[in-house]
Amino acid sequence: MQKLPFDTVLIANRGEIAVRIIKTLRKLGLRSAIIYHEVDAATLAVSMADTAIALEGSSPIAAYLDAEQIIASARRANVGALHPGYGFLSESAEFARAVASAGITFVGPTPESIELMGDKIRARRFVQQAGFPVAPAAVEEDEPETFVSRARDLGLPLLVKPSAGGGGKGMQIVRDLGTLDDAIAQARREGLRYFGDGRLYVERCAEKPRHIEVQVLGDSFGNVVHLFERECSVQRRFQKIIEETPSPALSAELRKRVCEVAVGVARNANYRNAGTVEFIFDGHEFYFLEMNTRLQVEHPVTEMVTGIDLVAEQLHVAAGHELALSQSDIVSNGHAIEVRLYAEAPEREYAPTTGKILMLEYPECEGVRIDSGIVQGQKITTAFDPMLAKIVVHSATRREAALKAAHVMRQLVLLGCETNADFLARLLMDDTFLSGQIHTGYLDENPHLAIGQCGSDLPAILAAAALLTKPVRDSADAVPKLHAELGKWRN
Amino acid sequence: MRHSFALNAESYELWLSPGQRDYRLHFGGEVIAPVALSHHFNGSGMLEIASETVSVRFAIDGDVLHLHIHGRTHILRYRDQLREFDLSEVLASHDAAQAPMPGVVVAVRVSRGDAVSPGATLMLVESMKLEFVVRAPRGGVVDRVHFEVGESFEQGAALVTFSDERR
Repeated sequence: MQKLPFDTVLIANRGEIAVRIIKTLRKLGLRSAIIYHEVDAATLAVSMADTAIALEGSSPIAAYLDAEQIIASARRANVGALHPGYGFLSESAEFARAVASAGITFVGPTPESIELMGDKIRARRFVQQAGFPVAPAAVEEDEPETFVSRARDLGLPLLVKPSAGGGGKGMQIVRDLGTLDDAIAQARREGLRYFGDGRLYVERCAEKPRHIEVQVLGDSFGNVVHLFERECSVQRRFQKIIEETPSPALSAELRKRVCEVAVGVARNANYRNAGTVEFIFDGHEFYFLEMNTRLQVEHPVTEMVTGIDLVAEQLHVAAGHELALSQSDIVSNGHAIEVRLYAEAPEREYAPTTGKILMLEYPECEGVRIDSGIVQGQKITTAFDPMLAKIVVHSATRREAALKAAHVMRQLVLLGCETNADFLARLLMDDTFLSGQIHTGYLDENPHLAIGQCGSDLPAILAAAALLTKPVRDSADAVPKLHAELGKWRN
Repeated sequence: MRHSFALNAESYELWLSPGQRDYRLHFGGEVIAPVALSHHFNGSGMLEIASETVSVRFAIDGDVLHLHIHGRTHILRYRDQLREFDLSEVLASHDAAQAPMPGVVVAVRVSRGDAVSPGATLMLVESMKLEFVVRAPRGGVVDRVHFEVGESFEQGAALVTFSDERR
């Protein structure tokens, strides 16, 4: 790999992704700097970074969104580049511009690409005009007075989406036209609140849709390659919980086609950086959904099967170098599955949980990668996203990978905060999941999967609880031995 | 003396009695013996139950017990009978819409004195950037709204309480 024109990189992020970026920086012999809010002072990312700079903020999230303060910190740490991670400021064109004007390399796309793809209505139009398939939709701003009637004409089910944002926030599904008005009002309210943008569009939703996305990588010379697809159809509330590659839904021919369309979209947009082109696949056809102009949460599955370090590639192209990889260099081996360990209770409609990590032990096995930013003693609050860690497994086949991942989820010990670990293990061993017949409504159609049962473990659980609870032991010890023996007699 | 543990919204009554060198567990009309926990240091132990030996990881946080047994995590709460008596008095006379999770109030739809029917929308709350509706657990008259817009609350907090007058 060519030498990079910077020796220190600031990470404008936190948690597992900050840890993951630091690992690549170390591998490349670069120094890392990180910004953090005081609630994160004791986290792994802050202790691993070579330099850590505390931010002031009215709330933890406000600190990580404070572009001015972050750029001032980058200057103070004298960094040559800034990696935004995902979320927070990673898809803010304004931030990318401000970083560049401060003379710092932004490890991401050009501000123009962010602007184009960040506005979903604009991105949709761009992709359609370039001749690629998009889902049938009604865009409000095309003719606001006929928006609702155009939406009705699309046919059920419908998906109401804000033009800004991502990550499923603000999206509303409509299965009954009577609820369309309410769904529009709620999507608009959430769009305004989270993204300051109330513009909407409505798409017709495919039946049993599958979420398939393609990882692309582009440089400043117009070269774009793909690193194959990922399938992320197992979702709750439009948020992914299991991601894998390759997709069990695609034939070799469909795989080739969807990857070529993704490369075409990125090339048309003069895309530089790692990026993801997302599609909805209805079993026959696929439609462009949106393009994410950043590293994705689920990027490790791609790294596992291709052996390519996406963060290293991001740094390489951000530095202005030409991609060293050509399409024929990129080969996918075996199957990789990622599961997201969340602080949440699946049996209570995936409600977020809180607590303090009292015990944390990750199993070590070959072919298993755990990206985690948490440490024992850390408090889990609702200040941030509930994701605690990502468990990524690589095996020869899909079935092997799923069963190995289930085994790892059972071996993993995290005490002190309720998590979805047991639920994930159940999903990975579910017949429908193992058959590959999944779609984005899979969890809604199988609500029983969210409920765990103690079953035959109940006596062991209660015995351990009794033996570990002092008042319970004390009242047994208070019974004189002889009396206890008599008691047995009487029974 | 009977003791009580809550697990997955169920309550289990049990007690231990002394055995030869260990204990016997009395639960659900059965006696399971012997039960013993050995080598428990650093949150790690071997549970002996009847003729089986099971590895157990555990953490204790006040009345709450976190257990990892046979690859699964369970959270139990030891129900201190004296303390729960106080709480039940308050709940019996008021009834409350409780927070299913920690979060922030986004909108309040009722005020003191309002008569509501079961399932009526009381509040919109937000947690982890998601919006949830808090509904009335029963019909009644709103006695108090405990949190205003923008205020945050913990899991289990009473958000809205009702008086006993029913319509």
